[in-house]
Amino acid sequence: MPLAQTATTVPVTVNDDLCIADKGCTVCVDVCPLDVLRIAESEDGSKTAYMKYDECWYCMPCEADCPTGAVTVNLPYLLK
Amino acid sequence: MSALFEEFDDIADLAEGLDDADPGTRIMAVIDLADSADPAAIPYLARAIADADAGVRKQAAQALTDFDGPETAAALVSALTDSDPAVIAAAATSLTELKDPAAGDAILPHLGDTDETKLSACLAGIKELRRPEAMAPATAALAHAAPGVRIQAVGVIGWLQDEAALPALQGAAADADVQVRRTAIAALGFSKSQAARTALIAALSDPEWIVREAAAETLAKSGDASCIAALRNALEDEYWQVRLKAVRSLGKLGAAEAALQIAPMMDIPVPNLRKECAAVLGELAVVETVPFLEKYADDTDPDVRKNVRWALGRIAA
Repeated sequence: MPLAQTATTVPVTVNDDLCIADKGCTVCVDVCPLDVLRIAESEDGSKTAYMKYDECWYCMPCEADCPTGAVTVNLPYLLK
Repeated sequence: MSALFEEFDDIADLAEGLDDADPGTRIMAVIDLADSADPAAIPYLARAIADADAGVRKQAAQALTDFDGPETAAALVSALTDSDPAVIAAAATSLTELKDPAAGDAILPHLGDTDETKLSACLAGIKELRRPEAMAPATAALAHAAPGVRIQAVGVIGWLQDEAALPALQGAAADADVQVRRTAIAALGFSKSQAARTALIAALSDPEWIVREAAAETLAKSGDASCIAALRNALEDEYWQVRLKAVRSLGKLGAAEAALQIAPMMDIPVPNLRKECAAVLGELAVVETVPFLEKYADDTDPDVRKNVRWALGRIAA
């Protein structure tokens, strides 16, 4: 599969400093109706949520329900 | 835990995380306690609502949405004086989810509070609990300077559906704030009294269309044919939203004499209004309105077409 050659952004971004996936939190993954979020585990064992599939329909529960405000959904200009 | 149906540990075990030094761990403990749906979690969540970290307090206030009863209500009321607005907002939202009338015991003592945010949230919380003791403080709150408090006070009185409160609601129907008037007009719907009908008919002349719209809608609840003349006048309102509610109310009242006044309104280029007119014309089933309906059998709006087809079928039957 060819990889994208240009820099891209995903609609859902997670602030690693605020994310508490380390503590077992999976709220954003659980509430996403499109099941596009996952918890990534890095080599040092720390965990953080990330957007695995770029299929967001901007419904916002991941941002609204995140207990620490770590998730941000970047709405396209025309949806604001 | 990855199982579809999670099995929870003992509540006390889940609550151990509340003593952790890390706020993230305490938040997870709050979430686990909420997910347990066990009322035994309430004391722990009530404790978490006084946590040092605002994020934990907010999560606890949100978590208490899933619980009920006096202890839950007391914890939520205590959070209404939190230093963080997000915690107050979460507690105020959770208060409105209470359904157990006994929860009112914890709210009633605070209905004399003068703080706008706290009083407004407490009134909103006790509204659906329908505690008669709330009538006096809610009536007193109608004199509060903040419109938000007055709106919630009208809501409490409206839910209690006590004819003795009619004068208070009539007063609120003449409030300076448009939203208070609108809420009061909707609240008057429970009463079948002449006084309520008089207030509703007067509201059809309110300078604000949203109040007139509420009055046109609420008048049908009286089921009294004496409102028909006033509703027919409302068919001439400059706002189609008011006309739409008047049409619907005339249909509910079975006002066949208004059918030939409603039928030409099918020509108004507002699909929502045409849809309502067609439905009501079918309901009233006056043969003379058939040509007006047939004209829109191929309307561009599918809902209008559907209602026209139904109305013509009903008139033909």
